[in-house]
Amino acid sequence: MTPAALNERASLVLDAYIVDVSWSPDGRSLAVAGGEGAVVLIDNLAQKPGPRVLGEHGMGVIAVAWQPGGKTIASSGQDSAVALWDSASAAVKRMRPGTAWTEHIAFSPDGKLLATATGKVLALWDCAGEKVHQFEPLAGTIAAIAWDKPGRDLAAATAGAVCVHRIEPPQFTVRKHAWPAACLSAAYSPNGKVLASGMQDGTVHFWMLTSGKDSQMRGYGSRVTLTEWSANSRFLATASGAEIVVWDFGGKGPEGSAPLELSGHTERVTHLAWQPNGPWLVSAGRDWRLSLWQPGREKQVVDAHLTGGEITAVRWSPDGKRVAVGESKGRLTIYELISQ
Amino acid sequence: MANQGRVPVTVLTGFLGSGKTTLLNRILSEQHGKRIAVIENEFGEVGVDHQIVIGAEEEIFETANGCICCTVRGDLIRILGQLVKRRDKFDYVIVETTGLADPGPVAQTFFIDDDLREHFQLDAIVTLVDAKHAERHLDEVRAASEQIAFADVVLLNKADLVSEQDLARVERRVRAINRTATLFRTAAANLPIQSVLNVGAFDLDRALAVDKGFLQPEYPFEWAGVFEFQGAAVRILTGAEHAHGHDHAHDHAHGDHASAHAHGGEGHHHHAGLGITFLRLSDANADELNRQIEPALRAFADQPIDVPCGGKLELSAKLYRLDVGHAGTDFTLTVSEPGTYAVFCEHVPQELSLRFAGLAPVAQRQFASHHHHDDEITSIGICDPRSLDGRKLDDWLNYLMQSQGQDIFRMKGVLSLKDEDRRYIFHGVHMMFDGKLERPWGGTPRNNSLVFIGRMLDRQEIEAGFESCVA
Repeated sequence: MTPAALNERASLVLDAYIVDVSWSPDGRSLAVAGGEGAVVLIDNLAQKPGPRVLGEHGMGVIAVAWQPGGKTIASSGQDSAVALWDSASAAVKRMRPGTAWTEHIAFSPDGKLLATATGKVLALWDCAGEKVHQFEPLAGTIAAIAWDKPGRDLAAATAGAVCVHRIEPPQFTVRKHAWPAACLSAAYSPNGKVLASGMQDGTVHFWMLTSGKDSQMRGYGSRVTLTEWSANSRFLATASGAEIVVWDFGGKGPEGSAPLELSGHTERVTHLAWQPNGPWLVSAGRDWRLSLWQPGREKQVVDAHLTGGEITAVRWSPDGKRVAVGESKGRLTIYELISQ
Repeated sequence: MANQGRVPVTVLTGFLGSGKTTLLNRILSEQHGKRIAVIENEFGEVGVDHQIVIGAEEEIFETANGCICCTVRGDLIRILGQLVKRRDKFDYVIVETTGLADPGPVAQTFFIDDDLREHFQLDAIVTLVDAKHAERHLDEVRAASEQIAFADVVLLNKADLVSEQDLARVERRVRAINRTATLFRTAAANLPIQSVLNVGAFDLDRALAVDKGFLQPEYPFEWAGVFEFQGAAVRILTGAEHAHGHDHAHDHAHGDHASAHAHGGEGHHHHAGLGITFLRLSDANADELNRQIEPALRAFADQPIDVPCGGKLELSAKLYRLDVGHAGTDFTLTVSEPGTYAVFCEHVPQELSLRFAGLAPVAQRQFASHHHHDDEITSIGICDPRSLDGRKLDDWLNYLMQSQGQDIFRMKGVLSLKDEDRRYIFHGVHMMFDGKLERPWGGTPRNNSLVFIGRMLDRQEIEAGFESCVA
């Protein structure tokens, strides 16, 4: 058994529903999306965390993302705008990709492109806010987007398909992985071999990108929105109610095998986050519990904390040493992973 | 407290032109102190300060249980999921569906989706009906009757644009589909806002008040009147009252006939034959009238005697069928034994402008009827005082949902279970079901009242199923 724990290191309370958080590449700052409309930057996480409001999205922030390797913060809001903030000067460039909300934003791994999903429309922007490309609208609203590790393919989940957009400027092509259900999530395994998607119909679908084969895992009681890959591409963590269901892609792969089932939450699991460079998995649920797991090694929960409210954001720092946890009532807590 | 802080949601359905936008604007602009979030099916139609209006395209998703009737609105899950993050800023949600939408997926979304259930409580389905075009819509479009079937509240809107006679006919047709909905006649959707908001139709904590009128037995006649017949003969007339001379009446009749078609369309003028019978009374009062219901039921079970326009009939307990296919018909009733009679009539006389020349009823009453609508969707009600076996009830309701869930739009009831002091209350949409034990019966007489609203429901089968649950 590996002794390990999450220790609370810092905590502060913001005057906002924390929708999401995103770490700076150096792990010193956090960008916070506030449900009431503020984009908040928190510097000095290690010593004296000090929040400052970068700016506002009227009526609520939907998503926030810090540029990999850079100092730009992207956000989208219920004002139908997307904003690019300079984290140092707070200078802002605002874009309006469409009339619908931009519900998903994601920087390419090299930080050069920002992908936005606005209703049915996927678009790419450079860091100055200029539109690089806009794809033809998909059949339905985009429920999730995900880049593959090299940043060449961008997957968009929608009703009836996960569409893979290949980005080789000036060439932009689209390939469809069709499945007759509403696809709600998209996740590339870091080794690029598998594209996974959670479905409204209570299944998880895998497309094996090298062989072209696809397969489906059933048995979920309700829609599946969490599909999270471990850093080594061996495990895919999903959730079914209060149960965490982990598929093992080692050996012969998950087909025909029973998944690992991790029990510890008493209410529905809402967040799953793998350590970006190690074996640890953090989960959060409607039971206001934050749990630490080591799937494949430990069947039991390794550590757990009861928080003071509904957990709404769980993000690992880029170095894999800390976890930022946001709550609906505005509390933000930084936990440190202690392990050997 | 009943809602545990959940935000109530009203679903607004109705065809294009039925007045949804008018009602929405009315709700949004009225001073009610509520911050309302509206999710509408198109952009920019409603724009009122301080309220949240979000355009959404209806996206219907199938759900995890694989049942084709269990669908949800994916767009609602997404949008409301975002809205709760600022929930202190609004306290009511209205979801407007597109004109042709089946309200099933919206309602089911609030039953099925855990995220939404946690924060939102379906309050009621409000359906607007364009009184002027309702009959054509009902004849031609399946969604029209489904929208009425799902409703907790029906607004017969634009009621000022149609005659009382037409309105009564539309209302009757709406009632035949859904007999538990609260019905309002409105012009320009003008009604007090509390009639459509915070109705609590899906809230099991507010006892389900199943309309008592609905639970009356159903009759093959709609109306009975008490008349004193004195002379040797009485003319029975239908159609426009001011028609005097025969020729004039004839011309007029044709004019009316044509316009009736233009308004209503083919296929639902139920008045080709009008059943009528006459029962002798010993006294002209309501009790006497009620004592003749049983004999009238027997008469209406008989083979009718057809009477053509201009034909004769007798003051007797036989069942006549008057040919009232043309507006403005004329029959002669022979009075061989003068006296007090109850006239049982298949339709309410006003519907056909039916009258007995020179006579007015000294007493009258209406009856709930079920026989003369041609919509596939109906309401079936059961009212029975016998206590039920809880386990058998479970089996039956499960079986019903499994076998007919697709066709059952709504069901609700208050039940008396054996060895249980509390009422059992339930409601459901398609295969989604919620039920629980509620406050004790106390001094009120124990009783079961159930309502099913659905397509092609078999009354006998449902009654037999209920019978099998009696403890």
